[in-house]
Amino acid sequence: MRKRVTIALAGNANVGKSVIFNYLTGLHQHIGNWPGKTVERAEGTLHFKGYTIDIIDLPGIYSFSTYSLEETIARRYIVTEKPDVVINVIDASILERNLFLTLQLMELETPMVIALNQMDMAKKKGIEIDVKRLEDLLGIPVVPTIAIKGIGIFQLLEKAIEVIERKVSVRPSEIRYGKEVEERIIRLAEALRNIHSPYPPRYLAIKLLEGDEEIEKEISRENPKVVALARRLARELEEIHGHDRSTIITSERYMVASRIANDVQKITTPMKPSMGELLHSITTHRILGYPIMIFSLFSMFYLTFTLGNLLSEILSEYLYGLEPLLISLLGKGIIERLIWGGIIEGIIAGVTIAIPYIAPFYLILYLLEDSGYISRIAFLMDNIMHKMGLHGKAFIPLMLGYGCNVPACLGCRIMETTRERILATFVTTLVPCAARSVIIFGLVGRFLGIEWALSLYILNITIIFVLGRLAFKILPGEPTALIMEMPDYRAPHLKTVLKQTWFRLLEFIKIAFPLIIAGSFMIKLAELLGLLRVIADFLSPVTTLWLGLPAISGIMLIFGVLRKELMLIMLATAFGTTDFASVLNPVQMLVFTIVAMFYIPCIATIAALVKELGWKGALIITTVEIIFAIMLGGVTQRILTLVFGLTK
Amino acid sequence: MTRRNDPTMKRMSERLGNYEIPLTALKDGEAGIIMSISGGGYGRRWGFEKRLADLGLTPGTRIIVVKAAPFHGPIEVLVRGSRLALGRGISDRILVKKEERCGRG
Repeated sequence: MRKRVTIALAGNANVGKSVIFNYLTGLHQHIGNWPGKTVERAEGTLHFKGYTIDIIDLPGIYSFSTYSLEETIARRYIVTEKPDVVINVIDASILERNLFLTLQLMELETPMVIALNQMDMAKKKGIEIDVKRLEDLLGIPVVPTIAIKGIGIFQLLEKAIEVIERKVSVRPSEIRYGKEVEERIIRLAEALRNIHSPYPPRYLAIKLLEGDEEIEKEISRENPKVVALARRLARELEEIHGHDRSTIITSERYMVASRIANDVQKITTPMKPSMGELLHSITTHRILGYPIMIFSLFSMFYLTFTLGNLLSEILSEYLYGLEPLLISLLGKGIIERLIWGGIIEGIIAGVTIAIPYIAPFYLILYLLEDSGYISRIAFLMDNIMHKMGLHGKAFIPLMLGYGCNVPACLGCRIMETTRERILATFVTTLVPCAARSVIIFGLVGRFLGIEWALSLYILNITIIFVLGRLAFKILPGEPTALIMEMPDYRAPHLKTVLKQTWFRLLEFIKIAFPLIIAGSFMIKLAELLGLLRVIADFLSPVTTLWLGLPAISGIMLIFGVLRKELMLIMLATAFGTTDFASVLNPVQMLVFTIVAMFYIPCIATIAALVKELGWKGALIITTVEIIFAIMLGGVTQRILTLVFGLTK
Repeated sequence: MTRRNDPTMKRMSERLGNYEIPLTALKDGEAGIIMSISGGGYGRRWGFEKRLADLGLTPGTRIIVVKAAPFHGPIEVLVRGSRLALGRGISDRILVKKEERCGRG
């Protein structure tokens, strides 16, 4: 029988952890969330030397504090689930900073192996590392790797198995701090000897001195005296060092990391800056940076849309061609119409969005991210995002929103705090996605002129700023600011990018498809039962009296919940013409489009909102947007009627 | 953007005699030694001081300002071999002692 073991991957962000994960697991992986959290959990399995190995990719973190969800999750996983070995992936080109986390892992006294990754990048930067010496200093096996080329991965795995097989042979060195701190750690650890905790006593002592809230809470339940002692000792330290306790411990730990790094690495600054360095300077340049960004983003959207349109058309043609087949099977009747219109058309709708648009979109996005460009965009856009109470990182989901709101909402996870996540998600749903752009261009752009379409975009951006600002003021809590690493540029690892795209696509399908299909089914059923007219009549006070639209547009508003671009198609079917100018006046077109732009997140987006924020959050955002859109539509209608009336 | 009542700014001017200046006062390419990071009440909830410390911005650490993004944007710095972008508000709260000899490394 195969033995089952668990390996956890831990390390900073941008060190190539996911590349190693993908190498090890191939397509045998599962991406989900940590129970009850919006932090991604990637798991996979692999068979090696008679073992079945479960691999867990822990979130990329810089430390084990309890300020961020990711850090808490990673720490708790290591101490409670006790993986057989932790592979600590570290970036050889930023050794000192990476060792900071390594030291904390060692303090958790978990069996570990170090993957000294990105050796090629280090070399390019003129950094030479004495691997043997590092191994000796840490007392932990170190395997040099270049993950993107697959170099060293096999050895890494072998080493990990070796550690699992003869556990005792690895003897991590004890990390010693400065005299004043060390004395107090030892004293505290002594007092903690008999405490029941999954954490080792020395770790608890350090964390108590540091003032880690979670650990403090845990220990004070068992022995409040020790916590009091820790506070006193920490105060003494604060007096000696003149900094707060947490800073003291962090500094001390960095001192150790720095000592080790200086001991094992030799740095010779290269004569001329590397390509990556040059590229960085240009893409973050105060003048050149912006046109480059606009050009890149524009190309990205242009590429996805042209490619998407083409693919979508081909796919639709094929898929809609299936209807006669169904008719021949079931005959032309109410059941056929329900199955076709309700279920199959729902699936087709999903497929013709997911494959042609979402897939290439994700692909390009991950290429940009993996290369490191996304963080440069966040750097350039930070200030502008501050105007709506967010920081630079929020620009990324916002930008995604122009493609599709669903990945954009999921992308808001990169924000640090819940407050920021809510804010970013809300703002994101206001961004006109590709489907809404179809309406803007297909109706206003085509019949009133491109300048009107563009002014709608400007109106949209203005409203995003205003509503974002408002939500920023209303939501309780403190705004965070940008603290972001800008990793060195590198060629993206295509396989990892493709896998990321694939798993994202699956996630999208899982979230969006059930609701799109259920929604189409309900609406088709309503249509067949003749309920649509009833609903439209019910809505007519709003649609005709307040918004000044034809009564039939109520039906469009219902269909739009499924897919926004359906509104335009429905409009054409309802009026029996695509020459909308003959059935709608300019004011109606503008009002219709404005309402379409804001009135409700589509059903797939609502699903994403539920997933990210829960039912309550999704409900609030949806309600706010419905009310806002109707208000705005009505007011616009009145203003425009006045203006158009005057100019006529 | 001067905030006269801002405690950080006030402390800054008091300390000017010790040559402690906010990071934002360094020009592109200049380096400094971090003396202290203090948000006053700012950032307590999300722990920005801790976050910075975890990234290696601890007292006594050398920090190089590479450049500032335009329109009062974030500042690009090099710390312990890594490249970071720090928001302007944060950079205002990092007090440094300017290194006289210029140069990178």
